[in-house]
Amino acid sequence: MNALEVTGLAVRRRRSWVLRDCSLAVPAGRVAALVGPNGAGKTTLMHAAVGLLAPARGGVTVRGQAAFVAQDKPLYETFTVAETLRFGRRTNDRWDEEAARRRLDRLGIPLGGRVGRLSGGQRAQVALTLALARLPDLLVLDEPLANLDPVARHDVMRSIMAEVAERGLTVLLSSHVVSDLEDTCDWLIVLNGGRLQVSGDIEDLLGGHSVLTGPAGASAAGCDVVGESRTGRQVSLLVRGGPPPDPRWNARRPGLDELVMGYLRSPASAALPAPAEVAG
Amino acid sequence: MIWVTWRQHRAQILVTAGFLAALGLLLLGSALEARSFVAAHVPGGCPGGTAFCGSLEAAVGLGERYDAVYSVFGWMPLVLPALVGAFWGAPLLGREYERGTHLLAWTQRVPVRRWLAIKLAVLGGAVVAGGLLLSLMVSLWRPVFREGIDSGFGNIGIFNMTGVAPAAWWLYAFALGTLAGAVLKRTLPAMALVVAGVAATMFALFALSDHYATPQRTELTGSVVLGDPDARLVGGGTWVDPAGREVGTADTPAACERRLDVGRAGRNTDSWHKCLFDAGYRYAVTYHPPSMFWRFQWTEAGILLLASAVLGGLAVRITLRRTAGGTPLPGAHDSSRVSTRTPNSSPSTGTRSSLPWNIPK
Repeated sequence: MNALEVTGLAVRRRRSWVLRDCSLAVPAGRVAALVGPNGAGKTTLMHAAVGLLAPARGGVTVRGQAAFVAQDKPLYETFTVAETLRFGRRTNDRWDEEAARRRLDRLGIPLGGRVGRLSGGQRAQVALTLALARLPDLLVLDEPLANLDPVARHDVMRSIMAEVAERGLTVLLSSHVVSDLEDTCDWLIVLNGGRLQVSGDIEDLLGGHSVLTGPAGASAAGCDVVGESRTGRQVSLLVRGGPPPDPRWNARRPGLDELVMGYLRSPASAALPAPAEVAG
Repeated sequence: MIWVTWRQHRAQILVTAGFLAALGLLLLGSALEARSFVAAHVPGGCPGGTAFCGSLEAAVGLGERYDAVYSVFGWMPLVLPALVGAFWGAPLLGREYERGTHLLAWTQRVPVRRWLAIKLAVLGGAVVAGGLLLSLMVSLWRPVFREGIDSGFGNIGIFNMTGVAPAAWWLYAFALGTLAGAVLKRTLPAMALVVAGVAATMFALFALSDHYATPQRTELTGSVVLGDPDARLVGGGTWVDPAGREVGTADTPAACERRLDVGRAGRNTDSWHKCLFDAGYRYAVTYHPPSMFWRFQWTEAGILLLASAVLGGLAVRITLRRTAGGTPLPGAHDSSRVSTRTPNSSPSTGTRSSLPWNIPK
């Protein structure tokens, strides 16, 4: 069962397309990483997913309720933390006050403090608490780790993972730093220039691709090449499928960042499941 | 949502309430002091049996007391609506956009449509109540000084502080500010736009108000000044010759020579007027009498109310069009479709394995 389905989504801003014909699905219980360079349309896709903008074409279906934490974690600066919780309680029908208070208490964030005076990490945790207290089925996080120090990044990521393990909710989070996502995400979505390049299970994707290194003259015939890079006489290829017939290639399994970089460098390549699966 | 509205806007609400309370105390004190001034001379108050009530001493005494307070609120008919628009209207949407908190507010379960409806209703209602309270206080205070002198019709400033005018002006400014915030997405530029907009509207309606009713015409003899200072003159007066024809100033008889006055003296002009009146000329003026007070009040309020509805409606429309159009947020039911339109193109081939993607044109 899919927690999020996007079909033929297209979003236009002024005269140009920010997103074109995006179709993807995230199965329930997954932690999906949405990656891509700045301006790829990640934020737009997330805003469309939570109903913040009207798409020009296509649609988004969320199974159950979605909670959203926008980039830079907007909160009312003059509210206290307790008032922020009250805001959430007053504007939602599903609300777990107990869990929210327990969570903030465990993190050592005082309820009486003003939101504007919180540290970046505490602010991120309050925003996350507000979203989690709504008991969402899908949690959408736009750059949740940006502007956080390494300790705070780790804490926020651990909080998200704990919630996933406990409640089995689905998470869609965006980042342009792939290394943040390596250990925690199991689904990958690559967006580039408003178009979808990759959407799939990370294990399947890594298993289905190889990095080939070899001399400049080696033949790549019989290979489905995603991208290549040259350093002197050495050639490095990212290919779909296993090693090619030419024995001069040295094949190995790619890392997540190699896979993402390989696709981002060649925008014409794509690795996507069949549309039938998306629609299902 | 009502708590949210109160929490976000309590500063404006409290400051406005505090201002109205302070003004109320000032007016109350002024009225009580004036009453005791009169009562010191006439035990029963005016109009009383003694000559004091019509005396110069009473007129000067009350006039001084009136002017002292009037100097405080002379600026209020223009400034108060501008402040309401700038501090109640402009931040309503402008600050949300500016700080990015609209992304927080409009992704909770309360739909944007409802969020807007509650905020506009609660704050708009408070603004109208504040305007009516101001009007009530001024209407209770003025008669102490101006009973039998004027009703506040002739003075456009006073006119806009009594009746339903303050409430209509405040609501208009609030709606204008809300729209400015929605369009500009910034608080400060929206505030500036409101101040300019309210001032422009006030001058435009002042010019338009001559047409709220058909003015009356009368021909004066012996004086060029209308007896009732409370009336509103429409345009300048014209001379009417003994035959009943209106004539321009240049066509007045040469026998009455017009000489320019020097400085602030009006002696030459006065003697010219007297000469014309003696020759059988009359001075025709058109004006609106004070009895038009409520007709003018309701006409102006009607125009402003209609404008408020249009501006507020535009602000709502612009806001809803930017979001998913006021449809319920994801998860209204077990499963919900945020927005669905027929995809124009979708790949028709493909298998489970990784596939090259045909980039759609």
